[in-house]
Amino acid sequence: MDKKGFEPKILAFCCNWCAYAGADLAGVSRMQYPPNIRIIRVMCSGRVEPELVVKALSLGTDGVLVLGCHIGDCHYISGNHRTVKRMAILERILGYLGIDPARVKLEWVSAAEGARFAQVVSDFTSKIKELGPIPLQELRP
Amino acid sequence: MSMIDNVQNLAREWLDSKEVDAIFGLKEQDGYIAPYLFTDVGELSCLVISNQYRLCYTCRPAKENILSLMLQTEPNAKIGVVVRGCEERALIELAKRGQVDLKRIKILGVACSKEDAEECRCEKPYPGNLVLGEKVEGVSGDENVNALLSKSLPERRAFWKHEFSKCIKCYGCRNVCPMCICKDCKMEQELYTETGWLPPGIPMFHFIRFYHISDRCIGCGECEKACPVDIPLLTIFKLLQKDVKDLFDYEAGMDVEQEEPLLTTLDETPMREEVMDVGV
Repeated sequence: MDKKGFEPKILAFCCNWCAYAGADLAGVSRMQYPPNIRIIRVMCSGRVEPELVVKALSLGTDGVLVLGCHIGDCHYISGNHRTVKRMAILERILGYLGIDPARVKLEWVSAAEGARFAQVVSDFTSKIKELGPIPLQELRP
Repeated sequence: MSMIDNVQNLAREWLDSKEVDAIFGLKEQDGYIAPYLFTDVGELSCLVISNQYRLCYTCRPAKENILSLMLQTEPNAKIGVVVRGCEERALIELAKRGQVDLKRIKILGVACSKEDAEECRCEKPYPGNLVLGEKVEGVSGDENVNALLSKSLPERRAFWKHEFSKCIKCYGCRNVCPMCICKDCKMEQELYTETGWLPPGIPMFHFIRFYHISDRCIGCGECEKACPVDIPLLTIFKLLQKDVKDLFDYEAGMDVEQEEPLLTTLDETPMREEVMDVGV
Protein backbone atom coordinates (compact mmCIF):
# COMPACT_ATOMS: atom_id res chain seq x y z
CA MET A 1 0.00 0.00 0.00
CA ASP A 2 1.42 3.37 -0.87
CA LYS A 3 1.44 6.20 1.61
CA LYS A 4 -1.06 8.20 -0.37
CA GLY A 5 -4.56 7.43 0.68
CA PHE A 6 -3.21 5.27 3.45
CA GLU A 7 -5.67 4.90 6.31
CA PRO A 8 -3.84 3.55 9.32
CA LYS A 9 -5.26 1.15 11.84
CA ILE A 10 -4.69 2.55 15.29
CA LEU A 11 -5.35 0.85 18.56
CA ALA A 12 -6.01 2.87 21.71
CA PHE A 13 -5.86 1.31 25.14
CA CYS A 14 -7.97 3.60 27.33
CA CYS A 15 -8.16 3.34 31.08
CA ASN A 16 -11.64 2.94 32.43
CA TRP A 17 -11.56 5.90 34.81
CA CYS A 18 -10.01 8.74 32.84
CA ALA A 19 -9.22 8.19 29.20
CA TYR A 20 -12.29 6.12 28.37
CA ALA A 21 -14.50 8.71 30.06
CA GLY A 22 -12.57 11.37 28.13
CA ALA A 23 -13.31 9.54 24.89
CA ASP A 24 -16.93 9.32 25.94
CA LEU A 25 -17.01 13.06 26.58
CA ALA A 26 -15.46 13.71 23.18
CA GLY A 27 -18.25 11.60 21.73
CA VAL A 28 -21.19 13.20 23.50
CA SER A 29 -19.72 16.65 22.81
CA ARG A 30 -19.67 15.68 19.10
CA MET A 31 -16.03 16.52 18.69
CA GLN A 32 -14.46 15.46 15.42
CA TYR A 33 -11.55 13.06 15.38
CA PRO A 34 -10.28 10.56 12.81
CA PRO A 35 -12.14 7.27 12.69
CA ASN A 36 -8.92 5.28 12.48
CA ILE A 37 -8.78 4.38 16.13
CA ARG A 38 -10.19 1.28 17.75
CA ILE A 39 -10.57 1.62 21.49
CA ILE A 40 -9.93 -1.18 23.93
CA ARG A 41 -11.00 -0.35 27.43
CA VAL A 42 -8.77 -1.56 30.23
CA MET A 43 -9.29 -0.98 33.92
CA CYS A 44 -5.98 0.85 34.26
CA SER A 45 -3.21 1.86 31.90
CA GLY A 46 -1.01 -0.21 34.21
CA ARG A 47 -2.80 -3.24 32.80
CA VAL A 48 -1.24 -2.65 29.40
CA GLU A 49 1.75 -4.91 29.36
CA PRO A 50 4.24 -4.11 26.60
CA GLU A 51 3.67 -7.57 25.12
CA LEU A 52 0.13 -6.48 24.26
CA VAL A 53 1.47 -3.49 22.36
CA VAL A 54 3.97 -5.63 20.46
CA LYS A 55 1.25 -8.17 19.75
CA ALA A 56 -0.96 -5.45 18.31
CA LEU A 57 1.89 -4.16 16.16
CA SER A 58 2.83 -7.60 14.90
CA LEU A 59 -0.78 -8.29 13.96
CA GLY A 60 -0.68 -5.30 11.64
CA THR A 61 -1.77 -2.36 13.77
CA ASP A 62 0.06 0.68 12.50
CA GLY A 63 0.19 2.53 15.82
CA VAL A 64 -0.75 2.01 19.43
CA LEU A 65 -1.93 4.70 21.83
CA VAL A 66 -1.93 4.07 25.54
CA LEU A 67 -4.10 6.58 27.35
CA GLY A 68 -4.37 6.84 31.10
CA CYS A 69 -5.02 9.19 33.98
CA HIS A 70 -2.63 12.02 34.72
CA ILE A 71 0.11 11.15 37.19
CA GLY A 72 -1.37 11.49 40.67
CA ASP A 73 -4.93 10.92 39.48
CA CYS A 74 -4.72 7.17 38.96
CA HIS A 75 -7.74 5.38 40.36
CA TYR A 76 -5.35 2.73 41.64
CA ILE A 77 -2.94 5.36 42.97
CA SER A 78 0.24 4.14 41.29
CA GLY A 79 -0.93 2.14 38.28
CA ASN A 80 0.15 4.75 35.76
CA HIS A 81 3.56 5.05 37.41
CA ARG A 82 4.15 1.56 36.16
CA THR A 83 2.91 2.39 32.70
CA VAL A 84 5.21 5.36 32.28
CA LYS A 85 8.26 3.31 33.27
CA ARG A 86 7.50 0.30 31.15
CA MET A 87 6.55 2.37 28.11
CA ALA A 88 9.96 4.05 28.28
CA ILE A 89 11.64 0.63 28.16
CA LEU A 90 9.27 -0.55 25.43
CA GLU A 91 10.14 2.40 23.21
CA ARG A 92 13.85 1.72 23.56
CA ILE A 93 13.47 -1.96 22.71
CA LEU A 94 11.30 -1.17 19.68
CA GLY A 95 13.99 1.21 18.47
CA TYR A 96 16.69 -1.45 18.77
CA LEU A 97 14.52 -3.94 16.89
CA GLY A 98 14.06 -1.43 14.08
CA ILE A 99 10.49 -0.35 14.73
CA ASP A 100 9.96 3.40 14.96
CA PRO A 101 9.21 4.16 18.65
CA ALA A 102 6.88 6.94 17.48
CA ARG A 103 4.35 4.24 16.59
CA VAL A 104 3.70 3.83 20.29
CA LYS A 105 2.57 6.73 22.39
CA LEU A 106 1.61 7.21 25.99
CA GLU A 107 -0.63 10.16 26.80
CA TRP A 108 -2.60 11.28 29.82
CA VAL A 109 -6.23 12.18 29.20
CA SER A 110 -8.55 12.94 32.11
CA ALA A 111 -12.29 12.34 32.14
CA ALA A 112 -12.86 16.07 31.63
CA GLU A 113 -10.54 16.36 28.64
CA GLY A 114 -12.73 15.36 25.73
CA ALA A 115 -11.14 18.02 23.54
CA ARG A 116 -7.68 16.79 24.49
CA PHE A 117 -8.68 13.23 23.59
CA ALA A 118 -9.77 14.37 20.14
CA GLN A 119 -6.55 16.35 19.75
CA VAL A 120 -4.30 13.47 20.82
CA VAL A 121 -6.04 11.09 18.44
CA SER A 122 -5.86 13.54 15.53
CA ASP A 123 -2.18 14.28 16.11
CA PHE A 124 -1.28 10.64 16.48
CA THR A 125 -3.24 9.62 13.40
CA SER A 126 -1.53 12.21 11.21
CA LYS A 127 1.83 11.11 12.63
CA ILE A 128 1.13 7.48 11.75
CA LYS A 129 -0.07 8.52 8.28
CA GLU A 130 3.32 10.14 7.80
CA LEU A 131 5.14 7.02 8.96
CA GLY A 132 3.16 4.77 6.64
CA PRO A 133 2.08 1.16 7.13
CA ILE A 134 3.81 -0.84 9.82
CA PRO A 135 6.80 -2.61 8.28
CA LEU A 136 6.57 -5.55 10.65
CA GLN A 137 5.38 -7.88 7.92
CA GLU A 138 8.92 -7.96 6.64
CA LEU A 139 9.92 -9.37 9.99
CA ARG A 140 7.82 -12.42 9.20
CA PRO A 141 10.01 -14.93 7.43
CA MET B 1 50.85 -19.41 44.19
CA SER B 2 48.12 -19.58 41.64
CA MET B 3 44.66 -18.20 42.04
CA ILE B 4 42.98 -21.52 42.61
CA ASP B 5 45.44 -22.42 45.39
CA ASN B 6 44.52 -19.20 47.16
CA VAL B 7 40.84 -20.02 46.83
CA GLN B 8 41.37 -23.52 48.17
CA ASN B 9 43.41 -22.24 51.11
CA LEU B 10 40.87 -19.63 52.06
CA ALA B 11 38.05 -22.15 51.76
CA ARG B 12 40.01 -24.48 54.02
CA GLU B 13 40.45 -21.69 56.55
CA TRP B 14 36.75 -20.89 56.54
CA LEU B 15 35.81 -24.53 57.01
CA ASP B 16 38.39 -25.13 59.73
CA SER B 17 37.37 -22.09 61.73
CA LYS B 18 33.69 -23.12 61.41
CA GLU B 19 32.98 -19.74 59.87
CA VAL B 20 30.90 -21.60 57.33
CA ASP B 21 29.39 -25.06 57.48
CA ALA B 22 30.13 -25.83 53.87
CA ILE B 23 31.75 -24.38 50.80
CA PHE B 24 29.85 -24.39 47.54
CA GLY B 25 31.87 -24.47 44.40
CA LEU B 26 32.88 -26.50 41.40
CA LYS B 27 34.50 -29.87 41.82
CA GLU B 28 36.64 -31.55 39.26
CA GLN B 29 36.50 -35.30 39.29
CA ASP B 30 37.61 -37.75 36.60
CA GLY B 31 37.92 -34.88 34.18
CA TYR B 32 34.35 -33.70 34.72
CA ILE B 33 33.31 -30.54 36.49
CA ALA B 34 30.12 -30.19 38.49
CA PRO B 35 28.74 -28.07 41.33
CA TYR B 36 29.59 -29.59 44.65
CA LEU B 37 29.11 -28.87 48.33
CA PHE B 38 32.41 -29.24 50.12
CA THR B 39 32.07 -30.17 53.78
CA ASP B 40 35.26 -32.20 54.08
CA VAL B 41 38.48 -30.21 54.10
CA GLY B 42 40.30 -33.06 52.37
CA GLU B 43 38.19 -32.72 49.26
CA LEU B 44 39.04 -29.08 48.74
CA SER B 45 41.95 -29.94 46.48
CA CYS B 46 39.34 -30.78 43.82
CA LEU B 47 37.83 -27.26 44.03
CA VAL B 48 38.22 -25.47 40.71
CA ILE B 49 37.04 -22.36 38.92
CA SER B 50 35.88 -22.98 35.39
CA ASN B 51 34.72 -20.59 32.76
CA GLN B 52 32.46 -23.24 31.31
CA TYR B 53 30.36 -23.41 34.43
CA ARG B 54 29.41 -19.87 35.16
CA LEU B 55 26.41 -19.13 37.34
CA CYS B 56 25.69 -22.77 37.93
CA TYR B 57 24.52 -21.90 41.44
CA THR B 58 21.73 -19.76 40.22
CA CYS B 59 20.36 -21.01 36.92
CA ARG B 60 17.23 -22.77 38.04
CA PRO B 61 13.55 -21.87 38.05
CA ALA B 62 11.87 -20.31 41.06
CA LYS B 63 12.92 -21.59 44.44
CA GLU B 64 14.82 -24.40 42.83
CA ASN B 65 18.27 -22.99 42.38
CA ILE B 66 20.80 -25.20 44.06
CA LEU B 67 21.60 -22.74 46.81
CA SER B 68 18.04 -22.19 47.94
CA LEU B 69 17.30 -25.92 47.84
CA MET B 70 20.32 -26.50 50.00
CA LEU B 71 19.29 -23.84 52.47
CA GLN B 72 15.79 -25.30 52.59
CA THR B 73 17.09 -28.64 53.80
CA GLU B 74 19.59 -27.06 56.20
CA PRO B 75 17.85 -23.83 57.18
CA ASN B 76 20.44 -22.78 59.75
CA ALA B 77 23.54 -23.59 57.77
CA LYS B 78 25.88 -20.91 56.55
CA ILE B 79 27.39 -21.64 53.20
CA GLY B 80 30.48 -20.10 51.67
CA VAL B 81 30.09 -19.64 47.94
CA VAL B 82 32.91 -19.15 45.47
CA VAL B 83 31.66 -16.44 43.12
CA ARG B 84 32.89 -14.27 40.30
CA GLY B 85 31.52 -10.84 39.46
CA CYS B 86 28.56 -12.03 37.43
CA GLU B 87 27.65 -14.68 39.97
CA GLU B 88 27.64 -12.19 42.80
CA ARG B 89 25.39 -9.84 40.85
CA ALA B 90 23.07 -12.77 40.17
CA LEU B 91 22.94 -13.65 43.86
CA ILE B 92 22.11 -10.05 44.78
CA GLU B 93 19.30 -9.87 42.23
CA LEU B 94 17.97 -13.23 43.37
CA ALA B 95 18.07 -12.08 47.00
CA LYS B 96 16.01 -9.02 46.04
CA ARG B 97 13.36 -11.35 44.73
CA GLY B 98 13.42 -13.61 47.77
CA GLN B 99 15.08 -16.51 45.98
CA VAL B 100 18.14 -16.80 48.20
CA ASP B 101 18.95 -15.49 51.66
CA LEU B 102 22.19 -13.55 51.66
CA LYS B 103 22.41 -13.79 55.46
CA ARG B 104 23.08 -17.50 55.07
CA ILE B 105 25.72 -16.99 52.43
CA LYS B 106 29.31 -15.91 52.83
CA ILE B 107 30.68 -14.71 49.56
CA LEU B 108 34.15 -15.74 48.50
CA GLY B 109 34.59 -13.24 45.71
CA VAL B 110 37.18 -14.00 43.08
CA ALA B 111 38.31 -11.59 40.38
CA CYS B 112 38.43 -12.75 36.78
CA SER B 113 41.51 -12.41 34.62
CA LYS B 114 41.74 -9.99 31.72
CA GLU B 115 41.42 -12.87 29.23
CA ASP B 116 38.29 -14.17 30.93
CA ALA B 117 36.76 -10.70 30.90
CA GLU B 118 37.46 -10.35 27.21
CA GLU B 119 36.08 -13.77 26.44
CA CYS B 120 32.81 -12.87 28.22
CA ARG B 121 32.80 -9.23 27.00
CA CYS B 122 32.30 -8.50 30.68
CA GLU B 123 32.13 -4.89 31.81
CA LYS B 124 32.68 -5.61 35.48
CA PRO B 125 34.73 -8.79 35.90
CA TYR B 126 35.07 -8.59 39.67
CA PRO B 127 32.61 -8.96 42.56
CA GLY B 128 31.85 -6.08 44.91
CA ASN B 129 32.85 -8.36 47.74
CA LEU B 130 36.31 -9.06 46.38
CA VAL B 131 38.28 -11.41 48.59
CA LEU B 132 40.91 -12.82 46.27
CA GLY B 133 42.64 -11.60 43.15
CA GLU B 134 43.32 -8.29 41.49
CA LYS B 135 40.61 -6.14 39.95
CA VAL B 136 41.04 -5.83 36.22
CA GLU B 137 39.18 -3.30 34.14
CA GLY B 138 36.26 -4.69 32.21
CA VAL B 139 35.76 -4.44 28.50
CA SER B 140 34.47 -1.04 27.49
CA GLY B 141 32.49 -0.64 24.32
CA ASP B 142 31.06 -3.57 22.48
CA GLU B 143 31.43 -4.24 18.75
CA ASN B 144 27.96 -5.73 18.36
CA VAL B 145 26.36 -2.83 20.20
CA ASN B 146 28.15 -0.25 18.08
CA ALA B 147 27.30 -2.15 14.91
CA LEU B 148 23.63 -2.21 15.82
CA LEU B 149 23.55 1.47 16.75
CA SER B 150 25.10 2.47 13.45
CA LYS B 151 22.29 0.78 11.54
CA SER B 152 19.17 2.60 10.36
CA LEU B 153 15.73 1.32 11.42
CA PRO B 154 15.13 -0.73 8.22
CA GLU B 155 18.62 -2.21 8.50
CA ARG B 156 17.95 -3.18 12.10
CA ARG B 157 14.72 -4.86 11.06
CA ALA B 158 16.53 -6.82 8.37
CA PHE B 159 19.26 -7.76 10.83
CA TRP B 160 16.88 -9.06 13.47
CA LYS B 161 14.74 -10.78 10.90
CA HIS B 162 17.79 -12.71 9.82
CA GLU B 163 18.82 -13.48 13.40
CA PHE B 164 15.40 -14.39 14.80
CA SER B 165 14.56 -16.54 11.78
CA LYS B 166 17.24 -18.92 12.97
CA CYS B 167 15.54 -19.43 16.33
CA ILE B 168 14.53 -23.04 17.00
CA LYS B 169 12.55 -22.14 20.12
CA CYS B 170 14.67 -24.31 22.37
CA TYR B 171 14.13 -21.93 25.30
CA GLY B 172 17.82 -22.27 26.05
CA CYS B 173 18.21 -18.53 26.63
CA ARG B 174 15.44 -18.59 29.19
CA ASN B 175 16.46 -21.81 30.91
CA VAL B 176 20.02 -20.72 31.42
CA CYS B 177 19.19 -17.18 32.56
CA PRO B 178 19.80 -16.71 36.28
CA MET B 179 17.16 -13.97 36.29
CA CYS B 180 14.38 -15.97 34.60
CA ILE B 181 12.80 -17.23 37.79
CA CYS B 182 9.07 -17.32 36.98
CA LYS B 183 7.36 -20.66 37.14
CA ASP B 184 4.77 -19.65 34.57
CA CYS B 185 6.56 -18.16 31.62
CA LYS B 186 4.99 -15.74 29.21
CA MET B 187 7.12 -17.18 26.46
CA GLU B 188 5.01 -20.33 26.73
CA GLN B 189 1.63 -18.61 26.73
CA GLU B 190 -0.51 -19.28 23.71
CA LEU B 191 -1.52 -15.61 23.64
CA TYR B 192 2.01 -14.56 22.78
CA THR B 193 3.70 -17.64 21.37
CA GLU B 194 1.75 -19.80 19.00
CA THR B 195 2.56 -23.48 19.30
CA GLY B 196 3.43 -25.50 16.24
CA TRP B 197 5.34 -22.78 14.43
CA LEU B 198 9.00 -22.17 13.80
CA PRO B 199 10.55 -19.73 14.10
CA PRO B 200 8.49 -18.30 16.96
CA GLY B 201 6.90 -14.87 16.54
CA ILE B 202 9.26 -12.19 15.32
CA PRO B 203 9.92 -10.09 17.35
CA MET B 204 7.40 -11.14 19.99
CA PHE B 205 9.15 -14.24 21.32
CA HIS B 206 12.45 -12.53 22.03
CA PHE B 207 10.82 -9.26 22.96
CA ILE B 208 9.26 -10.93 25.99
CA ARG B 209 12.67 -11.73 27.41
CA PHE B 210 14.16 -8.38 26.42
CA TYR B 211 11.44 -6.60 28.33
CA HIS B 212 11.21 -8.88 31.34
CA ILE B 213 14.93 -8.98 31.98
CA SER B 214 15.53 -5.34 31.01
CA ASP B 215 15.89 -4.01 34.56
CA ARG B 216 17.51 -7.07 36.07
CA CYS B 217 20.01 -8.23 33.45
CA ILE B 218 23.42 -8.65 35.02
CA GLY B 219 25.16 -8.94 31.68
CA CYS B 220 26.53 -12.44 32.16
CA GLY B 221 25.83 -13.32 28.54
CA GLU B 222 24.78 -16.86 29.34
CA CYS B 223 21.77 -16.55 27.01
CA GLU B 224 23.98 -15.77 24.07
CA LYS B 225 26.41 -18.56 24.91
CA ALA B 226 23.58 -21.04 25.34
CA CYS B 227 21.97 -20.14 22.01
CA PRO B 228 22.59 -22.99 19.56
CA VAL B 229 22.08 -20.70 16.57
CA ASP B 230 24.13 -17.76 17.88
CA ILE B 231 21.51 -15.03 18.11
CA PRO B 232 23.34 -11.98 19.56
CA LEU B 233 20.95 -11.48 22.46
CA LEU B 234 23.51 -9.78 24.70
CA THR B 235 23.61 -6.84 22.27
CA ILE B 236 20.15 -5.67 23.27
CA PHE B 237 20.64 -6.52 26.92
CA LYS B 238 23.77 -4.40 27.05
CA LEU B 239 21.89 -1.49 25.51
CA LEU B 240 19.05 -1.96 27.96
CA GLN B 241 21.40 -2.04 30.94
CA LYS B 242 22.61 1.36 29.85
CA ASP B 243 19.05 2.61 29.26
CA VAL B 244 17.89 1.48 32.68
CA LYS B 245 20.83 3.36 34.19
CA ASP B 246 19.99 6.49 32.18
CA LEU B 247 16.25 6.35 32.81
CA PHE B 248 16.03 5.17 36.39
CA ASP B 249 19.59 5.48 37.69
CA TYR B 250 19.58 1.80 38.51
CA GLU B 251 22.17 -0.90 38.03
CA ALA B 252 21.27 -4.53 38.51
CA GLY B 253 23.26 -6.57 40.98
CA MET B 254 24.95 -3.66 42.74
CA ASP B 255 22.91 -2.87 45.82
CA VAL B 256 20.65 -5.38 47.49
CA GLU B 257 18.66 -2.56 49.12
CA GLN B 258 17.79 -0.77 45.89
CA GLU B 259 14.40 -1.79 44.54
CA GLU B 260 14.09 -2.68 40.89
CA PRO B 261 12.73 0.35 39.02
CA LEU B 262 9.80 -1.36 37.29
CA LEU B 263 8.40 -2.23 40.72
CA THR B 264 8.62 1.22 42.24
CA THR B 265 6.56 4.36 41.73
CA LEU B 266 8.06 7.42 40.09
CA ASP B 267 9.36 8.66 43.45
CA GLU B 268 10.81 5.23 44.06
CA THR B 269 8.37 4.04 46.70
CA PRO B 270 8.23 0.27 46.47
CA MET B 271 5.06 -1.30 45.12
CA ARG B 272 6.25 -4.69 46.19
CA GLU B 273 3.44 -5.31 48.67
CA GLU B 274 0.87 -5.07 45.92
CA VAL B 275 2.92 -7.51 43.90
CA MET B 276 3.11 -9.96 46.77
CA ASP B 277 -0.67 -9.82 47.23
CA VAL B 278 -1.23 -10.86 43.67
CA GLY B 279 1.58 -13.31 43.29
CA VAL B 280 1.65 -15.37 46.45
